[in-house]
Amino acid sequence: MSDHLDQKMQTIRTEILNAMLPNVVFDGWSRRALDAGAKDAGYDEIRARRAFPRGLSEVATLWSEQSDQRMLEALDELDLRTMRIRDRIAAGVKTRIMVNTDQREALRRCVAWLALPLNAGLGMKNALNSVNEMWYAAGDQSTDWNYYSKRGLLLPVYTTTVLYWLADTPDEAGDYPDTWAYLDRRIDDVLKTFGIPKRIRESLQQGFMGARDARDAGDIRDAKA
Amino acid sequence: MSDQSENQPRRIRDSLPGDATYEKTIEQMIRVDHAGEYGAVRIYEGQLAVLGDRAIAPVIKHMADQEREHLSTFEALAVKHRTRPTAMLPVWHVAGFALGAGTALLGEKAAMACTVAVEEVIDEHYSNQIARLGDYEPELAATCEKFRQEELEHRDTGLEHDAEGAPGYEALKGLVKTGSRLAIWISERV
Repeated sequence: MSDHLDQKMQTIRTEILNAMLPNVVFDGWSRRALDAGAKDAGYDEIRARRAFPRGLSEVATLWSEQSDQRMLEALDELDLRTMRIRDRIAAGVKTRIMVNTDQREALRRCVAWLALPLNAGLGMKNALNSVNEMWYAAGDQSTDWNYYSKRGLLLPVYTTTVLYWLADTPDEAGDYPDTWAYLDRRIDDVLKTFGIPKRIRESLQQGFMGARDARDAGDIRDAKA
Repeated sequence: MSDQSENQPRRIRDSLPGDATYEKTIEQMIRVDHAGEYGAVRIYEGQLAVLGDRAIAPVIKHMADQEREHLSTFEALAVKHRTRPTAMLPVWHVAGFALGAGTALLGEKAAMACTVAVEEVIDEHYSNQIARLGDYEPELAATCEKFRQEELEHRDTGLEHDAEGAPGYEALKGLVKTGSRLAIWISERV
């Protein structure tokens, strides 16, 4: 029963979101756009309030989640397994951005709203979820701190690529070669940083080798006493 | 619910409003178990770094190997359930090794006392978890039970090797147990 109701509510949410996006271009990521979207989808304002009790932040999260879902579906079409890891990640970012290629203006307004200080945490959280999906889609199996470093390193790559893309202009085919070149350069930068933790680990290990020497020194002292 | 006594842990389906959801609870369990086994491996590695060339080394190595097996089981489960590892992992990496190496520097008996203390806490922790899991996740509960038995073997190994003869045994044990409980509490949350 409740599953059925949940599903129905989810359908209503999606309909309102999709009808809201064209309004966002004019009204920004705002209540006004949400109410207009609800109206366009055939619901009244009360229904819009009930569908999104936490308001605009909930709509932004829904959009992000649904875009992630569409990214995963699009990635299924590609043969990620045959690619290098960096190409899988690049494909993830590219696909995630391109699912909203028809909603660039709405996304621009949404990103502007997410950049407000009070919403910055939400924007990061949603972006982090997207990045998480990209890594799992790329076949990531890490369970150590690489789990965090991978996501932490991809997060700024992804978010800045989105910003670059919003400022980019499409070529005749509707593609964004400059953005993808930017993305490749950022991935190059990240790969360079992977050598640093290894160097830190090596120097730490050298420090621990002193532990056994300390013990032997203690034994000799005890033997003399 | 009414038939449960007060000190029995609440089973995971008997959740109250405000409790984590079922899936979140399972994830939390895998996260803390993964962290625990990770810490255990590091403790034994720390002990071996100091006692690696002593007669007792094979005993510690055997326990370390078992802990590694536990760890890889929980690594597989973490990937399966898409559980993030605890953010404290780098801390446990250093703290576990330091605990192992530190107690080993106090002597073999102190190292064994550390093992006894840690394994006692893990036994408590697994028992608690198995009770909470009830019949809901038989596979996970069976894994926990198997590991719990092996952890108890480690405790007995520690006692056989005269852990109780360590200098300041009670104090050392109390300290390590409190530290381990704190580590569990933190790993469940962060």
